[in-house]
Amino acid sequence: MKKSLNQMITSMKNISLKVNGLFPASCLLPPASLVLMLATPVQAQTSAELAALESELDAISTRIERLQDMEEIEILQRSYGYYVDKSLWYSLTDLWTDDGTLEIGGRGVFTGKERVFEYMNVGLSPVGPTQGLLMDHQQFQNLATIHEDGLTAEIRGIAFVMSSGGWGHCYYENDFVKEDGVWKMKTLHGPFNMYSGYAKGWVDDIIINTWPAKFPPPPDLPPTVIYLAYPSYYVEPFHYPNPVTGEPMPASDPKAGGEAFGR
Amino acid sequence: MKKTLNWTSTLIKEKSLRVNRLFPVACLLPPASIRLLLAACLLSLVSVASQAQTDDARYTTLLARLNSLKAEATQVEDLNAITRLGRAFAYYLDKGYFGEAANLFADEGRVVYGVDGVYTGRDRIKELFTRHGGGSMNAGPGLPFGRLNMHMHLQPLVTISADGRSAQARWREWGQLGNYKDKAEWSDAILENDYIKEDGVWKVREMRYYINFVAPYIGGWASLEPAGRDWRSPISKDFKPDQRSPLNYKRFPEITVPPFHYADNKSSIMTPPPVTAMPKRPDDALGKLEARADQEALKLARVHAVRAVENLQAMFGYYFDKGLWSDAADLFTDDGTWEFGQYGVYQGKASIARGMTVIGPEGLEPGQLNNFPMLQPVIHVSEDNSKAWGRFRSDVMRSVDGPDGMKGQWGGGLYENEYINDNGTWKISKQHYWVTYWGDYDKGWVRDGIIPVDQASTEVPPDAPPTVVYESLPHTYVVPFHYNHPVTGEPHDDMGRLARDKAAGKNVR
Repeated sequence: MKKSLNQMITSMKNISLKVNGLFPASCLLPPASLVLMLATPVQAQTSAELAALESELDAISTRIERLQDMEEIEILQRSYGYYVDKSLWYSLTDLWTDDGTLEIGGRGVFTGKERVFEYMNVGLSPVGPTQGLLMDHQQFQNLATIHEDGLTAEIRGIAFVMSSGGWGHCYYENDFVKEDGVWKMKTLHGPFNMYSGYAKGWVDDIIINTWPAKFPPPPDLPPTVIYLAYPSYYVEPFHYPNPVTGEPMPASDPKAGGEAFGR
Repeated sequence: MKKTLNWTSTLIKEKSLRVNRLFPVACLLPPASIRLLLAACLLSLVSVASQAQTDDARYTTLLARLNSLKAEATQVEDLNAITRLGRAFAYYLDKGYFGEAANLFADEGRVVYGVDGVYTGRDRIKELFTRHGGGSMNAGPGLPFGRLNMHMHLQPLVTISADGRSAQARWREWGQLGNYKDKAEWSDAILENDYIKEDGVWKVREMRYYINFVAPYIGGWASLEPAGRDWRSPISKDFKPDQRSPLNYKRFPEITVPPFHYADNKSSIMTPPPVTAMPKRPDDALGKLEARADQEALKLARVHAVRAVENLQAMFGYYFDKGLWSDAADLFTDDGTWEFGQYGVYQGKASIARGMTVIGPEGLEPGQLNNFPMLQPVIHVSEDNSKAWGRFRSDVMRSVDGPDGMKGQWGGGLYENEYINDNGTWKISKQHYWVTYWGDYDKGWVRDGIIPVDQASTEVPPDAPPTVVYESLPHTYVVPFHYNHPVTGEPHDDMGRLARDKAAGKNVR
């Protein structure tokens, strides 16, 4: 099809402007390549070849989507931490599915967005940062697994707490689901490892756990697991097998957490 | 061969196949008028030849393109696998799963444990960490009553080799250790690890553990005396290493900079360049696939960019830690800005490096700690892969010169940064550290332990005043988010929603 000279000049100008800045090395190709291309015989691809290309593209597309999924759930988990820092309870609650749950320390299970909001707003603090109060819940070491279906995922993570009350080290084993293309928090499960005051650190000023009546409101369901944090021993199950051996997590020694351990 | 070259050459190969008919125009860069004439001449040739831009050539190009996309996807997957390995390792140490930790090593895997020595093979590695972590070789996984052995492995900076079969990573370890009623300790270390991919599985080949300090909770790192001539751990004397340590350094308060594996290879901060415009593809079956490959390539580049920006910020942090101001400033664009607390804004590499001397001299002074871990990244990349935004956090361990010598301090703050993809290399165009608090080590960040945010230096004045004037703790504020809510897609408006709910009579506070 013929174009007017002007059209041709304009389109060439655009293309060359676009190309020459980015790919100067393309200049190194000898003009011979142009001749070769002109000489190549015309031959249409078979539909089988095209279908093979398409399925290759499908496979690549799925891999990219899994990589995206991982980055998206990391953002959810880390945003959760930024919201806790400043008591942004509306933003925090919006991370959940409608039927999602929250369980932190030994307080039991809170079900649904409204109860998640209450846990924070009734139990912890008013919406927004409070003058003089530090409540940093730093989100560390997210180990994320996207499942084969691309619709469910898990994260093992850490909240390292530096607050006006002192120190806290809490794990997470959280579940996520993708609803209508958007990842959401399905289950937040945060067992404590160590909570202590500031003055002498964790040498003896320890909070071994919370419990349902520790502060209001009461939970919808009792705790899913009863355990004591440091100086006792509890290991929250790893959601993933050993990344090298592929073996599931072995059980801990029955004497772990006791003086008789190793004897 | 470096990855650096790989990316560029792969892209050039693809592009050149597609665009080489334009090369005389692109290369010669003659005056505009002549260029237009040349273009016109050439285009007539091309239009005749367009039929000869054969399906075969296009097919071959597309195949090559898919292969390079697969290679890039593998690179990002590998990077994720390495970070997973590092995090899994730390979770095992925490809870006394020392055998599982040792199982992450290759057959001849080694741990270079500070100046103590080298331990080779999984059995020896298991015992090494069991002894240091307070476990027992006579028991299954676990720890005895009263033992705390938290090892947080943070700030990964991962470099995958060009052939994809080996990798290296730098990590920061922050340890919280203790024996109930007896002692509580902080520890600080840098790890430089080598990895190998065997039968598709990544394993640790060598872990070089640069222990910087183990400090008592009371007094902290500022109370540490210089290490003696032989500062090997007592454990290494009972549990003798297989070889002497090749590492020769002194722990804090001496300033030690563990060698950077990426000193001559910055491929970890490189991705494909921005896409200024999607190519126009012919309206045929192959063209549809070409257009889809264009879309997938961009999607992948943006996913890759998130990891490159994490690496970049980690790289900045590892330089900044040690007062390597010029190296840190080199990661900025030429007109990049660095704003730290209320110091004001320094612009341009030279000015940024100068501004950082407000913190201390290049390389720091002995006894000065300046640990700024780069944590909790939330990164978003622009649609065309040209720009990125990143929210990060630092919890700071530092010591500063005072009238009675070095004083320990804790600090915390957030970053809201901007980055530019400069033709395939990511650079910091804007870094802004918002101080949440500074606290005296001995008193904590409450009451009279609170230290107000530093004001601008008069000796090394900034190029511009702070962009936002604020006070740190006890004053509190929310650092604006560069992103909308990840689920609702709406701006963060908690205070507005609270006001509306209260007005509607809802029981909220």
